[in-house]
Amino acid sequence: MAKVEVDAPPKGGFSFDLCRRNDMLSKKGVKPPSYLKTGTTIVGLIFQDGVILGADTRATEGPIVADKNCEKIHYMAPNIYCCGAGTAADTEAVTDTISSQLKLHRYHTGRESRVVTALTLLKSHLFRYQGHVSAALVLGGVDVTGPHLHTIYPHGSTDTLPFATMGSGSLAAMAVFESKYHEGLSKDEGVKLVCEAICSGIFNDLGSGSNVDICVITKGQKEYLRNHLSPNPRTYVSSKGYTFTKKTEVLLTKITPLKKLVDVIEGGDAMEE
Amino acid sequence: MSIFEYNGSALVAMVGKNCFAIASDRRLGVQLQTVATDFQRIFKIHDKLFVGLSGLATDAQTLYQRLVFRHKLYQLREERDMKPETFASLVSAILYEKRFGPYFCQPVIAGLGDEDKPFICTMDSIGAKELAKDFVVAGTASESLYGACESMFKPDMEPEELFETISQALLSSVDRDCLSGWGGHVYVVTPTEVTERILKGRMD
Amino acid sequence: MESVFGLVGADFALVVADSSAVHSILVHKSNEDKIMVLDSHKLLGASGESGDRAQFTEYIQKNVALYQFRNGIPLTTAAAANFTRGELATALRKNPYSVNILMAGYDKGTGPSLYYIDYIASLHKVEKGAFGYGSYFSLAMMDRHYRKDMTVEEAVELVDKCIIEIRSRLVVAPPNFVIKIVDKDGAREYAWRESIKDTSVPTA
Repeated sequence: MAKVEVDAPPKGGFSFDLCRRNDMLSKKGVKPPSYLKTGTTIVGLIFQDGVILGADTRATEGPIVADKNCEKIHYMAPNIYCCGAGTAADTEAVTDTISSQLKLHRYHTGRESRVVTALTLLKSHLFRYQGHVSAALVLGGVDVTGPHLHTIYPHGSTDTLPFATMGSGSLAAMAVFESKYHEGLSKDEGVKLVCEAICSGIFNDLGSGSNVDICVITKGQKEYLRNHLSPNPRTYVSSKGYTFTKKTEVLLTKITPLKKLVDVIEGGDAMEE
Repeated sequence: MSIFEYNGSALVAMVGKNCFAIASDRRLGVQLQTVATDFQRIFKIHDKLFVGLSGLATDAQTLYQRLVFRHKLYQLREERDMKPETFASLVSAILYEKRFGPYFCQPVIAGLGDEDKPFICTMDSIGAKELAKDFVVAGTASESLYGACESMFKPDMEPEELFETISQALLSSVDRDCLSGWGGHVYVVTPTEVTERILKGRMD
Repeated sequence: MESVFGLVGADFALVVADSSAVHSILVHKSNEDKIMVLDSHKLLGASGESGDRAQFTEYIQKNVALYQFRNGIPLTTAAAANFTRGELATALRKNPYSVNILMAGYDKGTGPSLYYIDYIASLHKVEKGAFGYGSYFSLAMMDRHYRKDMTVEEAVELVDKCIIEIRSRLVVAPPNFVIKIVDKDGAREYAWRESIKDTSVPTA
């Protein structure tokens, strides 16, 4: 054929080659798609011996609840976790890439990652994309210099705070923190306060909902409490569920039996040379 | 009009007991004009892994070709098939690469993993994974599919019941969507066999 | 306005196109042949922007010929259609061509076939297909009167019905049409349906 174009695996980075066509399509009057968002409540606070992060578990696409139990507390390093709000793909991708950069950095230095390192990597990535990578993050962790909590905005600006909230439910959650946070909280008090803040987001902000995820990070250890609270269980399903008496009309059926995998016996007769 | 509504589509996948089902409608349209009623949106990657691509037909075809290409490279290099989880990450990476100029496709991935554990997942057009234990939906009929599946689905169905449930959920949903329908295409995959069925649907 | 349509009969496929070259409100020409004989057994009916159409169809024709020279065997219709889609899809991401294509062909073994490729490179194998404003009438006529086992005479009768419908119901109906056919004996022009002739220019 005219030219041989091998679609080799990409070297990394974004590819902009569909932009022109999509521009053409949007000029013809077709709207670009909406993306999966995490209209979210995410929070974090510093307590007497570490950091607690919290998140709700609702993912939305416009007004539709796309996922009722998604994970918004992302792993960064063994001692650092990060809550993400904004476009789901962006929060997922940005935490994943930085997390692997941190791991490489650990292999290189042989030391535990510091929270400021993660912070700098995240903010420079987000700043480079001028807010187009829309991730709003709450970063928390405990390193050799003690517990740290930061918020990172999509444009790359950051705050360092004793307690922080982000996402569409941030106001509801912040109201709780502002009235009840104080220095030197115990672990149980901290977890309770974070739960309360997230619940305030779940029940007062329509973009947030379902369950409460919590992550407690202390010196040398962490506790990831997935679905620590489930204040909204399903109650309306009937125990029997639906059954269909009339069979669906089928025009054609094709059944393909699958081949069984052959068991290979380890250490059998070696093949002749 | 959203670009996802240009061709029209409906996709759904459900988990059963040691099996899964994936189903789609069969219409290919250009806005309100129907071009064909035997369009393929669900593709086999290997015996126990299927991908459905909703959204713009041309991107579904291009994306499918790229996915097959990458899976074949993997097979050559690793001498084995991809696990569904791995494949989902691949699809996600391919989509996110085009974050600022996306493929107008929302994929649904369904497969049997290690020890024939069913896996289903969907994504938005820039690769935000959404893993589910019960069912996933995509396409122009997704809103009605959410409703239908939410009430019809129950855990641990056997293949026959799973087929009835997914078919009824699909057919009743596409009847409330102008842009999809004209029959259905259902795959039910168990550890021992793949059953492919063509459903009769309304023709309006 | 432009009308291209085609159908597959018992042992042949045919493509019909209007023959008006229009720019804005002016008709430049009414005997423009928009159906290219791609190779001995393939037809390529195209509509869309005239520059893109001429450029793209010729590009495809030359590359299909090049393949035949290099390999000594012609591309099958399916292969040529997939190649065309590939080229259109690649161009789409750089400098899009606005051409809609109906590709008809006859292969030994598989028989006649017709492929629908629109300007955003959605490919689909069809029995009957149409583009442009004429499609609203020709698709409806073909839906009503088409059979799989039509003879050439019956098919041409149907084509004439479509043309009558387009001429009498479409405001901006083109005056002339060309019908081309492909069967086991090759691709060729079958007939013209002209309601006006281009007046010859008197020589000075």
